Amino acid sequence: MAITPDAIIKKVEHNIQSDSGYSKITMTVTTARGERTMKMESWNRGHEKSFIKVLYPKQDRGITFLKVDTTMWQYVPKIEKTIKIPSSMMMQSWMGSDFTNDDMAKESSIVDDYHAQITFEDGQKYTLTLLPKPDAAVVWGKIVLEVAKEHFVPLLAIYYDEDGVQQRILYYSDVKFYGDHYLPTVMTLIPQNKKSNKTVVKMEEVNFDVVIKDERFTKNALVRYSQ
Amino acid sequence: MILFKMALRELLSHKKRSIVTLLLSAFSTALFIFANALNNGTHNQLIRSSVEIYPGYMQITNRAFEENPNFDNLIFDVANVTKTLQKIHEINASAARFESYALYSTNEQSIGGMFTAIEPEKEAHVSRLKRSLVEGEYLTPSDTNAIYLGAELAKRLKVGIGDTLSFISTGADYSFAADNLVVKGLFKTKLYEFDNASGFVNKGYFDEVMHSRNIATHIIMSPTDLEQIDVVTQKVQKALGHGLEVKNYKTTLEDLILAMEIDTIFGYITLGIFFIVIFFVIGIFAFLSVYARIRQIGVLRAIGTTPKQVMGMLLIEALILGFLSVGLGGAAGAYASHHYEKHPIEITSLVDVDAQEYAKQYNMVAEATFPSEFNPPRIMLDMLIMMLLNLMTVLYPIVLINRFTPTEAIRYV
Repeated sequence: MAITPDAIIKKVEHNIQSDSGYSKITMTVTTARGERTMKMESWNRGHEKSFIKVLYPKQDRGITFLKVDTTMWQYVPKIEKTIKIPSSMMMQSWMGSDFTNDDMAKESSIVDDYHAQITFEDGQKYTLTLLPKPDAAVVWGKIVLEVAKEHFVPLLAIYYDEDGVQQRILYYSDVKFYGDHYLPTVMTLIPQNKKSNKTVVKMEEVNFDVVIKDERFTKNALVRYSQ
Repeated sequence: MILFKMALRELLSHKKRSIVTLLLSAFSTALFIFANALNNGTHNQLIRSSVEIYPGYMQITNRAFEENPNFDNLIFDVANVTKTLQKIHEINASAARFESYALYSTNEQSIGGMFTAIEPEKEAHVSRLKRSLVEGEYLTPSDTNAIYLGAELAKRLKVGIGDTLSFISTGADYSFAADNLVVKGLFKTKLYEFDNASGFVNKGYFDEVMHSRNIATHIIMSPTDLEQIDVVTQKVQKALGHGLEVKNYKTTLEDLILAMEIDTIFGYITLGIFFIVIFFVIGIFAFLSVYARIRQIGVLRAIGTTPKQVMGMLLIEALILGFLSVGLGGAAGAYASHHYEKHPIEITSLVDVDAQEYAKQYNMVAEATFPSEFNPPRIMLDMLIMMLLNLMTVLYPIVLINRFTPTEAIRYV
């Protein structure tokens, strides 16, 4: 029996997400005028909760982010303030990268928000076209996702706006095996309107299914774990 | 000379008819001149306000900025551009700006808005930002951590003078930027959306926090002679080369200019209808007065007056009346135009209710005053048009009356 599109997506999500995970990340933002590198630690509990702490560069060290469901807060040590990111800012750049706040705050699985269809298939990969469900609160008009048949690892995702214009391409590479997860440890995001820009996220260290205290995902943790 | 005397005698012997024609024409002339002056004055004020509040008469940006307004498409050598501008005498003043976006945060609220760096002293020469101060103080070049905030945004953030707010933003080098700012001044322009979403800081301070030294998104300029703005725009563009783009308000506020032009066209249509009515009223009056004299003209023709001389006499009559009425109406129209240029018509109640809502909706300037424009060459042109109109009204009766033979005219009842 042929596999369904939703089943493919669930397998992909199983590979790249964990119920309770920790990772150390290096993010490199390249623009026409130079390159910036940031290092971060990230904790997550499923889709719903995540906590990020910036380790490098020195001037940004201690900036923390908390996401619970679709709400996002940020603590900035320099101004000693916890700020809730309003919905109007969700499409703004996250830490100067090509990712947006919305990318960080996404709560649900794309299975919940998008109707998926297999639009191409060969011996190596599936190509799925995802169109938003009528009531889904999503920003993309269409996503085209390519998934390797072997281990259901994502290869790339092309994001289109509501007018069908290609906005960005996310490439997945350097697949590593962790337990029963085949994880692409490098993600390269290339915005289509800024061809000289790219953001590369590299997972230096990954721990699936670690024990994380509930307290990590509270607003108090933003200040406490900022140190 | 004889024709002139005859024409004058004719006018004086029918004083009532002459005075009515004269007053009708004078009133039309005055109304025409004033309507035009009010239309032009109001449009000019609206454009001037829209330009001077913030956008400025001329601007320089990176050529790619309009299509991709990101931090890769900036003016990267402000000092050099400023040096070039200083050599162009037609530029009266220039000021660099760095427009950015920030999340403003207080203990109560977090709101996204424009976060813009200005050179406070220079900015005062290219926009009305300084003059829009309503509370506190305007910025100075030595200010750090001080923000000049839109009054509506301050209301939403629930802050007043001396209160602290924080901002988080992305620096010119895409780094993370955040700091605390003290509200130094509040401004209120007539642009609601602008007041609702804008904050300004001293560029010297901004450059430190946002890593934007010698970088700007815009350089705003004001020309010494507004009439020459297109020529100056081309001159600056030539001096700066292709990498930067120079535009003036006719391009940056193209929609507003177009709206004004459409409004002017509708104004002319209204005036056109007014003209037709006036033309027919004066025309009928002229027609009746000429026709009432068919027998008299028949006698003149019978004693040897040529049709050309008849036409000359009637035209001289129209000219005398025209000169007097257009002169009188022109003087009245010019006086009204001049008076209401200095003391614009105020309709505050209209602006309080509907116009402000309209202006908010379309982010336009809500004006409570309607000045006229005192423009002598324009007034002269309007007077000339009215003069021609006066002459045209007698042409048809003249043609008709000259078709009569002297015998037909004498026998005409």
